[in-house]
Amino acid sequence: MRAQRMQRTLLSLVLRLLLLCTVATGKCSGKYHELLLQLQRQADLMQDPSTLLDPYIHLQGLHSPVLQEHCRERPGDFPSEDALWRLSRQDFLQTLNTTLGLILRMLSALQQDLPEAAHQQAEMNVRGFGNNIHCMAQLLRGSSDPKAAEPTQPGPGPTPLPPTPPSSTFQRKLRNCGFLRGYHRFMRTAGQVLRGWGERQGRSRRHSPCRALKRGARRTRPFPEIRRLAPRGQPPR
Amino acid sequence: MPTLIVCEDANPNSPDCIYTGELIVPCAHIHPESSVVQLGSNFTAVCVLKEKCMDDYHVTANDIFWKTGRVPVPYEQYSVINRTASSVTFPNITLINALLTCNIRMFGQINRSVYGIRIISGLPPEKPKNLSCIVNEGKKMMCQWDPGRETYLETNYTLKSEWATEKFDDCKAKRDTPTSCTVDYPPVYFVNIEVWVEAENALGKVTSDHINFDPVDKVKLNPPHILSVNSSKELSSILKLTWTDSRFKSFITLKYDIQYRTKDASTWNQVPPEDTSSTRSSFTVQDLKPFTEYVFRIRCMKEDGKGYWSDWSEEASGITYEDRPSKAPNFWYKIEPSHAHGTRSIQLKWKTLPPFEANGKILDYEVTLTKWKSHSQNYTVKDTKLTVNLTNDRYVATLTARNLVGKSDASVLTIPAWDFQATHPITDLKAFPKDNVLWVEWTAPNESVNRYILEWCVLSDKSPCIPDWQQEDGTVHRTYLRGNLVESKCYLITVTPVYDDGPGSPKHIKAYLKQAAPSRGPTVRTKKVGKNEAVLEWDHLPIDVQNGFIRNYTIFYRTVIGNEIAVNVDSSHTEYTLSSLTSDTLYMVRMAAYTDEGGKDGPEFTFTTPKFAQGEIEAIVVPVCLAFLLTTLLGVLFCFNKRDLIKKHIWPNVPDPSKSHIAQWSPHTPPRHFNSKDQMYPDGNFTDVSVVEIEANDKKPFPEDLKSLDLFKKEKVNTEGHSSGIGGSSCMSSSRPSISSSDENESAQNTSSTVQYSTVVHSGYRHQVPSVQVFSRSESTQPLLDSEERPEDLQLVDNVDGSDGILPRQRYFKQNCSQHETSPDISHFERSQQVSSVNEEDFVRLKQQQISDHISQPYGSGKMKMFQEVPAVDAFGPGIEGQVERFETVGMEDAVDEGMPKSYLPQTVRRGGYMPQ
Repeated sequence: MRAQRMQRTLLSLVLRLLLLCTVATGKCSGKYHELLLQLQRQADLMQDPSTLLDPYIHLQGLHSPVLQEHCRERPGDFPSEDALWRLSRQDFLQTLNTTLGLILRMLSALQQDLPEAAHQQAEMNVRGFGNNIHCMAQLLRGSSDPKAAEPTQPGPGPTPLPPTPPSSTFQRKLRNCGFLRGYHRFMRTAGQVLRGWGERQGRSRRHSPCRALKRGARRTRPFPEIRRLAPRGQPPR
Repeated sequence: MPTLIVCEDANPNSPDCIYTGELIVPCAHIHPESSVVQLGSNFTAVCVLKEKCMDDYHVTANDIFWKTGRVPVPYEQYSVINRTASSVTFPNITLINALLTCNIRMFGQINRSVYGIRIISGLPPEKPKNLSCIVNEGKKMMCQWDPGRETYLETNYTLKSEWATEKFDDCKAKRDTPTSCTVDYPPVYFVNIEVWVEAENALGKVTSDHINFDPVDKVKLNPPHILSVNSSKELSSILKLTWTDSRFKSFITLKYDIQYRTKDASTWNQVPPEDTSSTRSSFTVQDLKPFTEYVFRIRCMKEDGKGYWSDWSEEASGITYEDRPSKAPNFWYKIEPSHAHGTRSIQLKWKTLPPFEANGKILDYEVTLTKWKSHSQNYTVKDTKLTVNLTNDRYVATLTARNLVGKSDASVLTIPAWDFQATHPITDLKAFPKDNVLWVEWTAPNESVNRYILEWCVLSDKSPCIPDWQQEDGTVHRTYLRGNLVESKCYLITVTPVYDDGPGSPKHIKAYLKQAAPSRGPTVRTKKVGKNEAVLEWDHLPIDVQNGFIRNYTIFYRTVIGNEIAVNVDSSHTEYTLSSLTSDTLYMVRMAAYTDEGGKDGPEFTFTTPKFAQGEIEAIVVPVCLAFLLTTLLGVLFCFNKRDLIKKHIWPNVPDPSKSHIAQWSPHTPPRHFNSKDQMYPDGNFTDVSVVEIEANDKKPFPEDLKSLDLFKKEKVNTEGHSSGIGGSSCMSSSRPSISSSDENESAQNTSSTVQYSTVVHSGYRHQVPSVQVFSRSESTQPLLDSEERPEDLQLVDNVDGSDGILPRQRYFKQNCSQHETSPDISHFERSQQVSSVNEEDFVRLKQQQISDHISQPYGSGKMKMFQEVPAVDAFGPGIEGQVERFETVGMEDAVDEGMPKSYLPQTVRRGGYMPQ
């Protein structure tokens, strides 16, 4: 009897784990590795300066080497790499989500200063990245009910703040340029962290990945503050 | 008060005439207002009248009738629900788009439409199927689907898409492209999106299956851009291809598809896919030919195969590096005429190597000539021929081609001594076209052949034979001519085997790459035309117009109205005999020459067959002539034998009156005369009488007298049966029944009742005054003329005679009566003969007269005419009457006294004499 009970318990646990790993999450992909790969590639795609910074520099006339010297990321705009590496997964996702919200606000402010196509594509990429963070959070949570999501907890480390209004237009351009540079750097770092997820998972394959993920997952919704600003399906203006 | 809308004469298809919004209160309404009906369903509409209208127009639901368009709906489909409502039902409705109106009949006779709705039938949309999307790199996502069956209604298709966290704006398909839609937001890769289609029309809404995908799996990347195609000096068989492609290669793994071909080829070679299944920006293609230009193209897609291949890149080309010529050039020679004794002019010639054998640009050729036991002569030539003067000895020539990398192998050719006898030819040489090239096939000789030389040239009458040539290995026995051959030209092909010691005997054959019908047909002509056959001949067509091997000729010939007949003639012939032709007929003949590909007619030629065959005329004419000659000869002989008889008929003796002896012609001396007659006509038939009346008119000149005689003679000869003859014999012949035959004799014997005439000629002959009055006697049964019976009339004539002299001439014809004569001339001839036999002297005189008459004949003719015009009765004068009487008397006495057959002319009149009867 005891052995049978043990077997039932073990089978139930396995099935539960399997169920958690492939749980349907609405429009989200239910496959962790696929979703993680998507996040990694999205981060790779968004860290490319040619998608946002280069068009901005070209359009604003900041492509001289002297000016680019002043186009530097301001400390505190985005979490540092070390901070991101130290975050837990749920906190990392939460930090990403928060930072993306700030990026969207900044992009909204830079709408007139960027080529329309580049601006629209960048904004969509950020929103799509947030969508995948939401899906990953759901996957980690093991539930597809967004209402069940817990309130977002601020991540560790410095919380990026919206850039302060510059004193002059030139200063504002340099400030925006530095912000965009920081954005690409942040995405590159995020990608590296996400790749680290995959490597760590590969190394700890003997442990239950779902349990580990679930343990650190927090209920996360993308850009809570942005979603309040823009109606669903409408890009923020 | 409600306003009644009157639309009786309005267009019933216009719903505006039924009601016009709020200002007009309709008199009824139809339920339901919705008018879209599903095909195949039943549809019921109810028209409800308003009380006010019912009262005003005294109508109830029974007065309602329905129309679709202008067509009333059958009453069987009506149903009166109550006093105010009537319904109509359309079962199993078909495809329709019409106006359904509710109408009333007012006062029992006036029809009015009171309300209307438009009925449209159709189908609800089907669930869209096969939804798929594509994302062209740099563009927005486009999705397409299969809408299913036709709905016959306005159907909207909406593409819906959403992420897990948000929905996107609907993408409404345009009316002209209801099966696809392009979203208006940029694609976001690596984010799953859910897409579906909603189809909606008045009869329903349906949604397709949802598809969820990552747009990157639907991407069609931009084609790569080839940057360069580079060769390698170290390796002449490779080319390195470099390109740039989509920035996606930074995020996703790509695979490539590389194709290449030589510049002139049309088919592509494929680089093995497994060699290009990962992201890269260059690739080295191996196993290429040296110094060859290659063209490349490339495309890419996601490595996992999801998505679509990009379009092909633009083509780029590169040339592999040179290599040593891989083959020795084809080498041959030609001996040219030379005037120098003991030497030969040899033209060495060779072919340029094709690019795939030259492996680079050929810089020059090296030729070495070696005579037996002598040193070599070296030549470096850029051209492809070299002319050298050689002795009559045997030589060995070698040839190499050189390019930037090195030399080819040597091609060796033995030039035999001048007295070399070529032997061992090939056999069974054949040439035939196939696959647009001219193939040559032969059987190799038993000896070992180093190689074969094939030479060919165009045979033409206009240009000389300029040979082209090619070389084949000794193992080959079938090849095709690799020159620039043209169709419809005759090629003379020569195949020469080449042995170690020199060339063998050549063999020749003619061939066409492609035959055609001759450019023109042969010109046919006749060589000989007979009555029933014609020999046609023609010349062979010149080689330039043959366009093929002339297989046969066809001769077409026909008459103007006949069917055309065709005769096939072998091509070796140049003449043909058409037989069974119709004589004296125009024939049209033409000739066509045929090759394997058709024929061509030559010009038409006409000829006419003669009516008679050759010699046929002679065969007819000669016998006829001979027969004629024979007949003539016989006639002449006959005439000669019977000349006397003929002479009597044709050339009667005319007695010369001047030699007549009237004295002898006396009734008392008849025995002499009649004895003569008896001698001539022993049978007693006195058949001819000739009477000569010579007028003794001194006024008349001598020639006229001769003419008068001539006239008589001619009339006698030429106009038988007419009243002509000498001395009015015609008149006398009227008494013929008593003259020439036995019947006449009998008649003469019975002339007791007849009247006899006689004439006495007073005038002399040829100015000879008769010594005595001449009498002439006649006997006739004819009644006496009126002049004779009425001397008073003659008296008048006599006066005329004295005035103009015409009358005396007419006296010869005093017997020219109105009665008909049958054969007076005969009688006349007989008589003349009689006279002639009586007096030869008279005959001599008559001949003299005839000679004179011949000279004055026209005048005599005039007299003849005069004779015909003047009535005989009027011409006689009174003197004549007396002569007649006397002459008549003589005749009667002669007949009675002598007991001889009655005759009028046994008269012999001598000059100046009178022989009374």
